[in-house]
Amino acid sequence: MKFHAFHLMPYPNLPDDFRQRYRGVWVDLPASELYDPVVGHRVYHDYLDELEFADQMGFDGICVNEHHQNAYGLMPSPNLMAATLTRRTRRAKIVVMGNSVALYNPPTRVAEEFAMLDVMSGGRLVAGFPVGTPMDTCYAMGQTPTTLREKYREGVDLILKAWKSEQPFAFNGRFTQLRYVNVWPRPIQQPHPPVWIPGGGSVETWDWCVQNGFLYAYLSFFGYLRARQVLDGYWEAVDRLGAEANPYSAGFIQFIGIADSDAQAEELYAEAALYFFNRCLHLYPGFTNPPGYTSVATMRKGIVGQVEQAARRAFADDLTWPEIVDRGYVVAGSPETVTERLSDMADHLRVGHLMVNLQFGNLSRETTMANIERFATEVAPRLRDRFNEYEDRWWPTDTLSELARPAPLGGEA
Amino acid sequence: MATAAGTTSRDVPLPSGLVCRVIEAGPGGDAATVVYLHGAGGVSEQDEILVNLARRWNVVAPMAPGFRDLAELGEIDDVHDLAIHYEEVFGSLGLENAVVVGHSFGGMVAAELAAHYPSRVGRLVLLAAVGLWDDDEPVADVFGVGVTELGGLMWGDPDGPGARAMREGLETIDVSDPKVVDELLIPMMQGFSAAAKFMWPIPDKGLAKRLRRIAAPTLLVWGANDRLVPAGYAARFERAIPDARVRIVPGAGHMVPIEVPEEVIAAIERFLG
Repeated sequence: MKFHAFHLMPYPNLPDDFRQRYRGVWVDLPASELYDPVVGHRVYHDYLDELEFADQMGFDGICVNEHHQNAYGLMPSPNLMAATLTRRTRRAKIVVMGNSVALYNPPTRVAEEFAMLDVMSGGRLVAGFPVGTPMDTCYAMGQTPTTLREKYREGVDLILKAWKSEQPFAFNGRFTQLRYVNVWPRPIQQPHPPVWIPGGGSVETWDWCVQNGFLYAYLSFFGYLRARQVLDGYWEAVDRLGAEANPYSAGFIQFIGIADSDAQAEELYAEAALYFFNRCLHLYPGFTNPPGYTSVATMRKGIVGQVEQAARRAFADDLTWPEIVDRGYVVAGSPETVTERLSDMADHLRVGHLMVNLQFGNLSRETTMANIERFATEVAPRLRDRFNEYEDRWWPTDTLSELARPAPLGGEA
Repeated sequence: MATAAGTTSRDVPLPSGLVCRVIEAGPGGDAATVVYLHGAGGVSEQDEILVNLARRWNVVAPMAPGFRDLAELGEIDDVHDLAIHYEEVFGSLGLENAVVVGHSFGGMVAAELAAHYPSRVGRLVLLAAVGLWDDDEPVADVFGVGVTELGGLMWGDPDGPGARAMREGLETIDVSDPKVVDELLIPMMQGFSAAAKFMWPIPDKGLAKRLRRIAAPTLLVWGANDRLVPAGYAARFERAIPDARVRIVPGAGHMVPIEVPEEVIAAIERFLG
């Protein structure tokens, strides 16, 4: 198994009565009322420190992602974060989870920036292409939900063609027309970095990933117990299409809090988990299900999108810590408890790539750093051998053995 | 729900290769023919607007592309393609100089058709039509509200029986029942998805600059309490369409042809003369 430190970079200062005062955390939450850029300065640097520490602690990957107009995750441009991480990390692969392709005009912008990141990082990039949440794509960025997926797929095709093509070419797409496609720089990883597709549970995505050799990552906020239906659907697609049931073709995300004991876990993590589930996931239902975003096939399959799940929850009562732990939204407790539950998860979901959120909500830097260290030293080693019999073909292989070193800062030299 | 006497549905093949579902209803005989273009809620034989119009006229109601199957929108990318599609529908139905009544999204479609192909539309009736934008009085984001808030946007009285029935209906939908998903939820979402293709994120796709081309005498009917497309939009349409008149119905909202059918029918009767 491989382990990746995932960061949402949430805004940590939402008021206690946030749910009462605002209808949602995304799209139309007024930044002028709630976002303090000085706090933002501090937490951006804390969060980057945390990801850099994860690199030092031996995590396989460090993950950033893209969201817009919200207090849930403050990375409208994950590529900016990835760029700065290329300078202060040495080992971990940089997993950008990823760029919402339909939002870039033209999408070759993504091919360019990802190639820059791959070159800057010495071939450490994992290229994630999400559709993006409805809040980000349709409401904040104005994309038409009815054609969003088509535009997204066309954009991914264009990016991959731009990376693979030996010669400049013309692209006459339905959503993008370019007379000359000729991307500079070209990535170190040839023909291109591994492609990961973060999905929320759309049935079409499974077949598409399997047929194209993309990793399928189910990014759910609701823990592994609820993820069975979706991952089972993915493995069925793998089976139906005659592909290898290789755990490294699948990824999953899990919130984790490690403590000395299960009781101490509540002390350390309950407040931050409640902050995340009751404030960061306080979604206005009107922004969760734009018509056309969810395909008819997915509706028929009865899979409620992760975002809609969250919105339904948002209007229910506040979650409590025991509910969060019992339902597996956060796997928390002693290293033994966490190892046991993740082992159970590995048995049931069969995912070789586990993204772990070790900072969530308003969890402090100090607790996060300890959580990162304990996961790396007390949990990951006990699970690392899982799935060793499989080859991971969804992981960078062309990483340079010698990375260029940033010059020491003048003042520190 | 009631159906008008003699209601029939048929599939009309179009030169494009698409097939258009057309519902027809009315008293027959000497009654005039009225083409009804429906809103984002779709059209069925039980459609209350259709039933109301069919008491007085022979109504021809083509279903908008995508409402039955989103694949129909494969080649229909924008309002221009949509106008071409409707021109073919009218051609296939032998409709020239027709009386066209459009509600909400259907009003936008009717206005686009009349602007693109002025000879197809002889008289135009726009009921609470979308298609224009005013920064000072924005059209409500019908696709960005929770389903339970939809009723309040649609009806002139947000706590009246129409709004209440809609709210209760949508609140009690059992999404885990496959029958409900297939018969109610999917058709509703398909229709909304199809309409959203032409209305997202703001339902102003250049109609304002084309309204001058509308040759048909035009009647604009709005509910004074329309919370979705405020009544001020009637005046904006009136100013831009060469031969237009406005009837504002006090108390009514966006569902004006359902809320006050007698007044809407009387206004259309007077207009048609």
